[in-house]
Amino acid sequence: MASTLLTPKHVTYIQSLDTKRDRLDYHLTEHLRLSGIYWGLTSLHLLNHPTALPRSETIAFVKSCYHPSSGGLGASPGHDPHLLYTLSGIQVLATINALDEIDCDKVVEYVSKLQNPDGSFSGDEWGEVDSRFVYCALNTLSLLGRLDDAPSVSVEGAVGFVLRCLNADGGFGMAPGAESHAGQIFTCVGALKIAGVFEKSLSEDQVNLLGDWLCERQLPNGGLNGRPEKLEDVCYSWWVLSSMAMIGRLHWIDREKLVDFILSCQDEENGGIADRKGNVADVFHTVFGLAGLSLLGYEGLKEVDPVYCMPKEVTDKIVWNHRKTPTSQSL
Amino acid sequence: MNQPPPDSYALDPSWTDLVPLPQDDGEHPLAQIAYTEEYSEAMSYLRAIMAKNEYTPRVLQVTAHIIEMNPAHYTVWLYRAKTLLSLLQSDDGAAADLGRELRFLNDLALRHQKNYQIWNHRQTVVEAMAAAPELVGQMVREEKQFTNAMFRRDGKNYHVWSYRQWLVRRFAAWAGEVEFVDGLLAADVRNNSAWNHRYFVIFGQQGEEGVGDEVVEREVRVVEDAVFIAPQNASAWNYLRGLLGKVGRPLSSVEGLCLTYAPLDNPDAITSSHALDLLADIYAGRKEERAKAIKALELLAARYDPIRANYWNYRAGIIKAAA
Repeated sequence: MASTLLTPKHVTYIQSLDTKRDRLDYHLTEHLRLSGIYWGLTSLHLLNHPTALPRSETIAFVKSCYHPSSGGLGASPGHDPHLLYTLSGIQVLATINALDEIDCDKVVEYVSKLQNPDGSFSGDEWGEVDSRFVYCALNTLSLLGRLDDAPSVSVEGAVGFVLRCLNADGGFGMAPGAESHAGQIFTCVGALKIAGVFEKSLSEDQVNLLGDWLCERQLPNGGLNGRPEKLEDVCYSWWVLSSMAMIGRLHWIDREKLVDFILSCQDEENGGIADRKGNVADVFHTVFGLAGLSLLGYEGLKEVDPVYCMPKEVTDKIVWNHRKTPTSQSL
Repeated sequence: MNQPPPDSYALDPSWTDLVPLPQDDGEHPLAQIAYTEEYSEAMSYLRAIMAKNEYTPRVLQVTAHIIEMNPAHYTVWLYRAKTLLSLLQSDDGAAADLGRELRFLNDLALRHQKNYQIWNHRQTVVEAMAAAPELVGQMVREEKQFTNAMFRRDGKNYHVWSYRQWLVRRFAAWAGEVEFVDGLLAADVRNNSAWNHRYFVIFGQQGEEGVGDEVVEREVRVVEDAVFIAPQNASAWNYLRGLLGKVGRPLSSVEGLCLTYAPLDNPDAITSSHALDLLADIYAGRKEERAKAIKALELLAARYDPIRANYWNYRAGIIKAAA
């Protein structure tokens, strides 16, 4: 079992992902390709190999996913625009300092139109509602520096919706009344942080109850699960961990045990990180494993921003340094 | 069922009017394998149809074919939904058989438990069916039956739970939901999704009047029975805490229950860390019993839940600071 981070293998693994075009898997994952680029690029930045993916090709791919008529981005060329991929595309461009490559006003317009009267956001024109999409919307707008002046967006309404997703057990769900889930907690707490209202929205007792629910996710093997009585998983490790970092309770879990768990999920031969030890690695679990290690202060990794899951130096420059009250200081 | 796909779109007379639009892969030509070829051919014909904004019955055929190979392709689902809705409005309304569509979705959902596009599409279909009010009762019953079948395979499937809650709220179909949860908890008392649904149902259907005392007492008894079976079940204890908080009853009203599973004066007999946790909160609220609260938290940190020692020590620290 690997006891250290296999950085060169992970870099090679991520670089190899786009060369497997003769494989069916490649075509069957087309519907999340742009997010895949974001996961791979962020991994490489955290691993201190920021130029390992060719910049001009990356920009060209993002642009090929852009729909000039609506302003949204799809997962791949020819795929319909969706908030999930719009966020991924903007995150990629922000990370490589290329936001001037697309019409940001038009992207803001796309995001604005997806807000519903109850404050929630739909993922696309079809109206699928999920608290995740509030996060996608606010995240995108903030990276574009337009959170405060996006036409017709009510940040207050969005915050109201997120708070209606708060459950009696301290966590957040996908919609009002839906079960608490670590992934939804990450997006709900992240949305409140981006809106700059987390501290005034939840009482100290509520934050402690949330922290209680979150740290209860750690299992004896060190990994974290996403809901009670579920299996541990590297991606949940990130969602729980980042939420704990955002609410200032990271020290409530056992750091060493979680580090060992994530390292044990590495593919020692081909690189990449899997959901659990012995399973097949993928880029999604790779980025969340690396981001988790970064939050835990693992040596040699770039600092990750728990709100954005992007390199902290990027979000500091684009977002936090412009805030009147530097929210990131309290993270 | 959907019309089966042709052996070859290029050779089938009902498709030969279209010029397939292959994917533009730039300078990376595909080294195709057989299965990929079938997939790319179907995609090429769908692209050709989409380029014409065509919403005809054959869209259902080709999208079913692609979805069978790749059920996560959200753009294909959206085009299928648009086509169904468009056919419903047209003279060819019979082509959009919504009952058949639900059977198509049932089969897919059972085989692809993790897929959520299926459930989004299902909402669209059910909304369209609800346009005929006389059919709603039967439809909701059948939808509940199908989600029950899904829960028999995985009682914690998040997509199915979201759909179930949408259905219940959308059609005010609260009747029978508590009994449904009872059944799930009888099968697995640790099913947190079922406990969450219990809370959703108990408080969701009450509106402004609130929940009566007899309901609260019944629910406390449900928790008592559940923790008797599994004392170390976080879901039941969380439900109890949520229930009492919501109706404004003090935690101290369940002190006796907690002491049954966490007798502070006999630490060897403690069987539930969650009961200890609740006791710590109960005693922290009473000035003269703060020492007991600290004892409960110390037992948690040292013996019953040491992986979260930092958290328990933090809580003990707050109590000590207030003293």
